[in-house]
Formats: sequence, structure tokens, C-alpha cells
Amino acid sequence: MLEITAGKSTLHLNPPLMGAAGAFGFAGEYAKLIDLKLLGALVTNPISLKPRRAANGSRVVPIDSGVLIHTGLPNGGIYKMHRQYAAKWRASPTPIVIHLFGTADDMAECATFLEQQDQISGIELGIHDTLTARETRTVVGAVRARTQLPLLAKLPLYQAANLAAAAADGGADALVIAAPPRGTTRDPLSGQLVGGRLYGTWLKPLAMRLVGQLAPRLSLPIIGCGGVHHPDDVRDFFEAGGRAVQIDSVVWTRPEMVAAIAGALGGTELTRMAGALADEWRTAGEAAERRTTLIPAPPPPIIPSPPEF
Amino acid sequence: MHQAQAIIERVRRVSAGIQRLELAVDKAHRTLGGGQFFLARVAAAYDPYLREAWLPVEQRGAVIVVERPARHVYMPNQVVDLLGPIGKPFPLRETTRTLLLLAYEATPAIFLLLLHTALARGTAVALVLIGQAGHYPLAALPQAVEVTRAADHAAWAERGQQILWADQIFAAAPPPYDAPAYWRLLEEVRAVRQLPAAEYVYGVFQPPMPCGIGACQACLVRLQSGEDAPACTEGMAFDLLSVNLLQNLPSSTEG
Repeated sequence: MLEITAGKSTLHLNPPLMGAAGAFGFAGEYAKLIDLKLLGALVTNPISLKPRRAANGSRVVPIDSGVLIHTGLPNGGIYKMHRQYAAKWRASPTPIVIHLFGTADDMAECATFLEQQDQISGIELGIHDTLTARETRTVVGAVRARTQLPLLAKLPLYQAANLAAAAADGGADALVIAAPPRGTTRDPLSGQLVGGRLYGTWLKPLAMRLVGQLAPRLSLPIIGCGGVHHPDDVRDFFEAGGRAVQIDSVVWTRPEMVAAIAGALGGTELTRMAGALADEWRTAGEAAERRTTLIPAPPPPIIPSPPEF
Repeated sequence: MHQAQAIIERVRRVSAGIQRLELAVDKAHRTLGGGQFFLARVAAAYDPYLREAWLPVEQRGAVIVVERPARHVYMPNQVVDLLGPIGKPFPLRETTRTLLLLAYEATPAIFLLLLHTALARGTAVALVLIGQAGHYPLAALPQAVEVTRAADHAAWAERGQQILWADQIFAAAPPPYDAPAYWRLLEEVRAVRQLPAAEYVYGVFQPPMPCGIGACQACLVRLQSGEDAPACTEGMAFDLLSVNLLQNLPSSTEG
């Protein structure tokens, strides 16, 4: 378990596993499919001060072993979203952390409002890629001044090493390393270049390297995020120095892995014992996962060109 | 919405480019409406990363038949992980006696369950295959359906009469053809019917759906009301009078 304590409240992450912003929706969308109690906390999709509409054009482009997503971060604005979801947040079986994005003033106003709400267990700030260390300190500090809720700062992958100390100085209680990086690729359907966030298994080594670099340098807890698709990935993040982990796109591709990952954590923080064999620290939840891997992959296509009919 | 495994019992080639898979499905997946589908994962590996949309074309008790491109290889006894049913059933009105289905540029498979339901009710069904959809094998369609082929929308000669004939219209075009095709269709409908009623002409929106559960916000359709609605939970068929087609037109984007 990880406890993140701010002035007047503590976010108990038990197990130290969170649903990441952008993957699990605004409230209990995944309650139909998975037991949300398995998560230590659920971070909402990003919310801004004012309403935002969905992006135009292509929003999903498959890439090798991953996907590019460009949603435009649609949401109704903090006040409308609170009216819409407050009852669900209150009834949520797992603590709710609100992910905020926008300018320092916008996020500070949102934090002021959230401070007065009783359904919220914490705030996560989406730090934009273009911010400097000074600006990051200003943004986090502006929100910190308005709230005593536990405050997490989610840093952009490629800037995390430069911004981590500034976020800590600004008053963050924990750092999330890292937000999905941005990329650009050509959408085969529209023929257009599309920019967006990248998800996939290949992200894990990138995020884990940062966690390993930053954990010894910082006193505040680091929450690893990126490419987690298997219980072993969580253990790797812990070994690298992470104190908790966020999972994102795995819930789209293999929702059953959420239970396997949470089951492997078993409500306690694991460390790898020296000399332990793999089977010695697998749980029943993972046994199911191993069975699914026995499904034979289909042989390669035999027809090279793709006729439509 | 359930996640369960299914077993491929039979693989049958329908044409050079199409095959149909007979799936023995879990009890939770046996109640399907026309237009509902599954997000499927075949391999344990993450390539392809996202689940594929599998369109049911027939249902027989515990067996659901889905249509897949023939370029993919499937084997009997292969296990498939299914998530679904996704979406709402197409809102076919009880009073609809004449149904017009339009398939633009892609397979009309999304309509086949609806088509069987309508025929079983005694509804007359006309299917128009436009553009690439015209290559769809007629042998894969029920004989009771009147099929028209057109090279493009402009070449669909009987459009005025058929729109006038129809009690209800459903159109399906894959992205990025969807919004432009529906825009043109709505213009035709307005030219014939002046003030078309609500729940008369529907467009099917089939963007890629990463989650299928309304969480990822990647399949939102922009509505006239100013709201955005996820196609995976509120669609895939939307009343075209409620959709802001101009804002759903493709354009360059940056994340």
C-alpha cells in the first residue's frame, strides 16, 4: 500500500495500482466489465475548466504494437462534469482522483472548487509538454495554494527528467512518470497525418528508465505509468523505484489483465526476492493469464493483397 | 457488456474476399440486435494492438456467424476472446413496412442481422450497394432483398423513388466516407421529403473503437445539440437529423 498525504487528507492506494487518466472514463464505465475495487484509485479522464469538444477527423490510428489516440480531451468543464458525475464518484468503490489540465489559473480555479467537494480523494495535474521547469513550478504551486487534497503531477515523458524537481518544489505530493508521449503518424484511412498520444507495450522501457533515474533523486513517491500490460511489468516498475503504478490501454485490449495484475499485487507491495524463481511468486490470478497465452496464434496470411470482397 | 471466449466451429469461404466464421459463443453473447457487434482478440500477442470489430451476420441459437476478410486465416477450434455486444440495436420502427439500406464503399455486413429481422417481420427491404460495396457477392444476401448497385451516389438512378418508397432508411459508410456520404444522402432526402421526420434516416458511424465501453472518448460523434456521443455506446446508428455532419467531416488534426 502507498499512502499519499497532503494537508488534510490521505490517498490510500491499496493496492498501489491506479487506473490512468484517459483510459477508464470519467467514473464507473468499466464497472460493467471489471471489479473497480481491484484498483487502489481511479483517475478520471482529463477535465478542464471550460467545456471542450471532441477533436475533428481521425482520432485512432493503429501503429505497430500500439495505437495513436487523439481525442481532443473532450469534457463538459469542471462544473458540468461534477454535476454529472458527483453521485457516481461518491458511490465509487475506489477512491477518485480528478485529472486536471489547462493553464495555471484554470487548474487553480478547478482545484478551489474540488477542495469543497467530498467525493474527491486527490487531484492529478497534467503537465503540458511545452512547459518549462519554472512554469511547471508555477502551475503546481498555484494549485497547491488552493487545495489540501493529495496532489499528483503527471509529467510528459520526454520532459520528465527536467520537470520533476520543479513539480516537487511546487508542492506535488507524488509524481506520475509519465504521460503517454505524443507522436504523429499517417492515418491509412484518411491519408492524413494525425498527431496524438501513443500507447503500447513498447512504452514500458522508456517510462521505467525515467522512474529508475528519478526515484533516487527525489524524496516524494513516484508512480510509474506506461506500457504496463502484465503483472511482471508492475514488479519491474517497483524494482526500478516506483511506489505505485498506473495502468492505461491494457484495459482496452485485455480487460481481464486488470484482475491478474491486481491479484498479483494482493493488496501488498511486492519486492523481488533474490534468487526467486518466477513460479514462486505467481498467484492464482496469473495462472489464468498463462492459460490464455496457450491460445495458438493464427498462421500468417496466405493472401498477400487485401481484396475487399 | 461481457468478455468471454468463443470457439470457431466452422470457417466457410463465401467469395474470393469474404469468409464467414461460425462461433460457439457464451450465453451472455447470444442476445444480439441488428447492428450490434463484438470487439475480438484472436492472438495473445499485442499485434494488432486493438481489438477488431467483428460483425455478426447471422444468429442460430448458441452459434453466431461473423463475416471477416478472407485475407485473415482462422482455424476451426481456434479460441477467440470476445467483448460485447457493443452498441445499441438499430432502431427499426415497429411500423416500418419498407426499409431502405444503403452501403457505401464497404461490405453491407453491418446490415445483415437487421435485414433478417426485417424480413422475418414481413418488411420489404431494398439494399443499395454504392461504390466498392457493389462488389459484395449477391449469393451472400437473402433472396428476398431487392439489390441495386451504383458506381457512386450520383449514379444511383432510382434514389428519388427509393427514398420516397422507404418508411425508414439506414446508411453505412466507413470512415472517412461516412460524414460526406450522409451529408449527400440527407440533401437527397430533404429534396424528396422537404421536412423529413425524426427517426427516419439513420447513419451508421463506425470509427475505430479502442474500448467499446464509452471510456476512451475516441469514437465521439458530434451532435446538433452541442453534445458529443460515443458511437460505441450510443450508436452506431444515429438519426442524421441529430448529427452535426459539418463538424464530423474529416479535417487535419493535431494532438
